[in-house]
Amino acid sequence: MAKLQQVFKRYGLLILGILLLVAPLVSAQYQFYVLERGVQNAIHVMGLLILIGYSGMLSLGSAGLLATGAYAYALLLLKLGFSPWLGAIFAVVITTLVGLCLAFPAFRLSGPFLAVTTIGFGEIIRILILNLEPITGGAYGVSGYSKLFANELHVYFFMVVALICIAIGTERLGRSRIGLALKATKEDEIAAEVMGVNVKRAKVVAFALSAMLAGLSGVILANLAGYLSPDSFTSAESSSYLLMVVMGGMNSAIGVIVSSIVVTWLPEVLRFLSSSRLLVYSLVLLVYLRINHVPATRERFLGILRKFGIRRAADAAEDPCGERGAGM
Amino acid sequence: MWRTGGWNVMTEQKKRGKAILQVQDLTKRFGGLVAVNNLTLDVCEGEICALIGPNGSGKTTVLNLITGIYEIDGGSVTFENAQIQGEPPHSICWRGVARTFQNIRILGGQTVFENALLGKGYGNGGSGVLQTVLDTVKFRKERETFTAEVDEILEFVGLSDLRNERARNLPYGKQRILEIGRALITKPRLLLLDEPAAGLNSKEIYDLMELIEKINDRGITVLLIEHRMELVGKLANLVFVLNHGSKIAEGSFDVIKEDPAVIEAYLGKGGN
Repeated sequence: MAKLQQVFKRYGLLILGILLLVAPLVSAQYQFYVLERGVQNAIHVMGLLILIGYSGMLSLGSAGLLATGAYAYALLLLKLGFSPWLGAIFAVVITTLVGLCLAFPAFRLSGPFLAVTTIGFGEIIRILILNLEPITGGAYGVSGYSKLFANELHVYFFMVVALICIAIGTERLGRSRIGLALKATKEDEIAAEVMGVNVKRAKVVAFALSAMLAGLSGVILANLAGYLSPDSFTSAESSSYLLMVVMGGMNSAIGVIVSSIVVTWLPEVLRFLSSSRLLVYSLVLLVYLRINHVPATRERFLGILRKFGIRRAADAAEDPCGERGAGM
Repeated sequence: MWRTGGWNVMTEQKKRGKAILQVQDLTKRFGGLVAVNNLTLDVCEGEICALIGPNGSGKTTVLNLITGIYEIDGGSVTFENAQIQGEPPHSICWRGVARTFQNIRILGGQTVFENALLGKGYGNGGSGVLQTVLDTVKFRKERETFTAEVDEILEFVGLSDLRNERARNLPYGKQRILEIGRALITKPRLLLLDEPAAGLNSKEIYDLMELIEKINDRGITVLLIEHRMELVGKLANLVFVLNHGSKIAEGSFDVIKEDPAVIEAYLGKGGN
């Protein structure tokens, strides 16, 4: 058991990657599309892991950056005649630069104040897209741009490989001294500064990386959907990205991948509930988060599990990291 | 400024080495309150100096001004012949000034090793994000040297066996030691300790004194704030006494403890 956990800890990302690569073989067309969206979201959320999870800068405007990436790709191709790959690279660069602008308010703002600023930023991007109709097509959206890959399956393989590479990089970053500098910025800015961490630079790096990944995710989104409209980039979307980071545990790349896919999938699984599905969806998430983060609720939940004789499951849940169960 | 023991201080001045830290006419106001008032003090290479004074006399503010956490309202701070006032804290740290805090500021969720590694800072050269993410040869080599350095320091302060423990699980005394260790990772030439003995028991204080002496033996100059007079008396070559933000005395511990102005500051008029 302990050995299995170690293997998983070490090669978890690769195993997950292989699972994702073979998934198209066994899934139906629609499920596959949801899975694609899940993986694409995971790339975006990996950036939020660096920004929110590591560095503690709450951003609720990430949909704006996603939109920047997606629209930049589409418009570079349509209006300026870029080739798809060149367009993709430039779209990522543009998104990174736009995201960097957000680092400047973050020098002085933190917590809820920064969050409100980022909401504003996300909305500005969305409203710009909506109103710059001659360029962006406004509410009609844009379509008809060419794609990176002719075969849809190739897009999927590309993004799974990209996701796993990004996840490995993110984990490496998290363990390095740069990751520590980011985490120190989150916990105690003054202590970090005094220990020789250039906090401003750390913040710039966190914003740049998260914007870069949002841009990449946006490019992939444009490739998946074939049609872009401002409706896909509302602040409600931004909050569901936040949800994905929080559910992923705020500290682990695997957690982010799993939670991104689950949170993308959940509304679809619950579709049979028709109009009450969003209610159930919210309830499930609420209960999950409470069990995971509020010790009292967790105890009560485990008590109920025990009552129904599901003791093993309860014991396993009580010790999710396997720290105490190493001898099992 | 030399109100007390004029002759004594002058002879001591002659014996002292080259100044590593010079604070000149340092002033800091918080609204109407003058927290530090025209403070002038020199710390010379290789010394252990102490900054003492009653509560609220501005000792911690002085450290915050030296390390760049507060902006200076007047005067200057010179470290190794370079004026450092107005620089951000991280670049003052890179120059070789490290400090600890009165209320311990370590990363509770991180391990002892990681906390110490934080002392390597960020932005002062070394591998960047790209090299880290790609796990390049240069990054690996750097990581090896860093690991070796951190382990050496952990061994030096006596925390090797707790290397992989989460910092918040450490007893209070060990957390203080960890903070000192982290400061040492920055390779300081001047170490500022803000009440290192606060909350420690007598055994721990004894160990701490040994550690400070060991640090001093490595050629690191120490300036410490402390209320525990047995520690100040044992360690400090030179003591500065602060009251209401002004220096009221300076000299060896034996001199200042007889000083009427110092006794008055601590005990009030007629305290002797």
